[in-house]
Amino acid sequence: MAVSDTSEVLPAPRRPSFAGSLDVRLLRDRLLVFFAFLLLWEAAGWFGINPLWISSPWAVAERMYQLAGSGELFLHMQRTLTEAALGLILAFAVGVPLGIAMARYRYAHSVAEPFIMALYSLPRVALAPLFIIWFGIDLFSKVMMSFSTVLFIFMLNVHEGLKTIDNDLLDLFRTMKAPRHYVLRKVILPWLVPWVIASLRIGIGLALIGAVVAELIGSSAGLGWYIEHSAGRLDTTGVFTGLVSLTVIAVAGNIIVARLEKRFSSWRPS
Amino acid sequence: MNAMDRNFVADLATSFAPPKIALSNIHVRFPAPDGKVVPILEGVSFDVPAGQFVSIVGPSGCGKSTLLRIVSGLLKPAAGEARIDGQMIAENGERVGFMFQRDTLLPWGTVEDNIRVGAELSGVPASAIPARLQELIAFLRLTGFEKHRPHQLSGGMRQRVALGRLMAYEPQIYLLDEPFGALDSQTKSAMGRELLKVWARHRRSVLFVTHDIEEAVTLSDRVIVISSRPGRIKKDIEIDLERPRDPASLRKNSRFADYVEEVWAALDVVRDLDV
Repeated sequence: MAVSDTSEVLPAPRRPSFAGSLDVRLLRDRLLVFFAFLLLWEAAGWFGINPLWISSPWAVAERMYQLAGSGELFLHMQRTLTEAALGLILAFAVGVPLGIAMARYRYAHSVAEPFIMALYSLPRVALAPLFIIWFGIDLFSKVMMSFSTVLFIFMLNVHEGLKTIDNDLLDLFRTMKAPRHYVLRKVILPWLVPWVIASLRIGIGLALIGAVVAELIGSSAGLGWYIEHSAGRLDTTGVFTGLVSLTVIAVAGNIIVARLEKRFSSWRPS
Repeated sequence: MNAMDRNFVADLATSFAPPKIALSNIHVRFPAPDGKVVPILEGVSFDVPAGQFVSIVGPSGCGKSTLLRIVSGLLKPAAGEARIDGQMIAENGERVGFMFQRDTLLPWGTVEDNIRVGAELSGVPASAIPARLQELIAFLRLTGFEKHRPHQLSGGMRQRVALGRLMAYEPQIYLLDEPFGALDSQTKSAMGRELLKVWARHRRSVLFVTHDIEEAVTLSDRVIVISSRPGRIKKDIEIDLERPRDPASLRKNSRFADYVEEVWAALDVVRDLDV
């Protein structure tokens, strides 16, 4: 056999690069932008904009320190985080199988489609008052709000992902008489991984929206409640403190998803 | 009973046994977008004895691939009978291995993972799988690439992995749909030799669809030429060249050239293009 193997040798598998090897220059420039923004914000106060409207980074930092000391900050963050995370996990657990079912049972999906789209198009924040009535002012109503905002993302993305599945690949497994559960495990679920991760990425923000909206309307704890409570007393520093804390949660969530993405998509050609 | 008698009895038995693949009067029709029904195959009949290597050539869209899909059980003909070992294909448990022009590997799976799929679906005990994988990987000269993923391999290597998966499945029949059609000509001829090596080892029946007439003549015992749509059998040519064949020296063989010419003539393509 005189096939030249050398011409077919390709580089060894790439090692995924980790955040540890982050570009130093990029990091520096990002920090620069961040501090410039803080400076502008602080400076606005010196040029006569009333801190009543925009507070100041210094005041926010002070408040955060104070709330952290009393344990309140942790309490509110934990509350909102729990609501959003439970909503997200529930939406994943329900949305992925529903999305697969939508692709599997085509006729049933055709029947249900207009109703699904109607619910999807409905601004679900408008459901918040109803959810408060149904599920109370505690954790459960917030989880359900989160769930209802994110559910469709998983459903529709998984359904869309299955539409793009490689039919030759499925045919091949069919010719080899692969049992259905084998195809699900070996082809369909791995195929969906990138779609599910993309859903998670969008879902994090939406889950927080759901939780916070429900908190604004009726609750006794959480960052949404803290923002609402502060605004009611014209305490803009409190409002900004809540916003900053929310941002921290969202950014942390995104970093986790980016890690997941890197971990699970190493098979994709760059 | 002496040896001659025994051979005679064996021959007799095979001559009465049904052919490996038997297609009789196959018709396939597909609905066109305008609502009409387009005939794809019309009255195609042929038998493939066990162990024969048969190529199917014909213009694009003549239904060559459709034939393979019928034998694989993926498609039911509108009319006609398709049998493997005398049994209707739909009910048949016969193992059929399919290979497409595209490699259809699991993109997230390593070379090993992909070949393992064939072994797992073949039903061999799990304990026997590692040894089998190792043997196939060595046979297909993929040693050292076990942990590579498809996107890190060349086209020829990917098709060798697909061939490995097919072999691991141990099919009774190989259905190959232009498996080397996307490869450059050098790799293609190397893969042809590889395939002959595989075939010589197990002597399974092969249905090989290709556009490449020289490839068809080089590999096959028989070349079936199909007309353009609706597909009918135009010519069924026995390729009587001794085996094992060496593609390089075949090209200088005048009988090889005659067969190639015969297939070209049956295809009628040259004349169509010249006008």
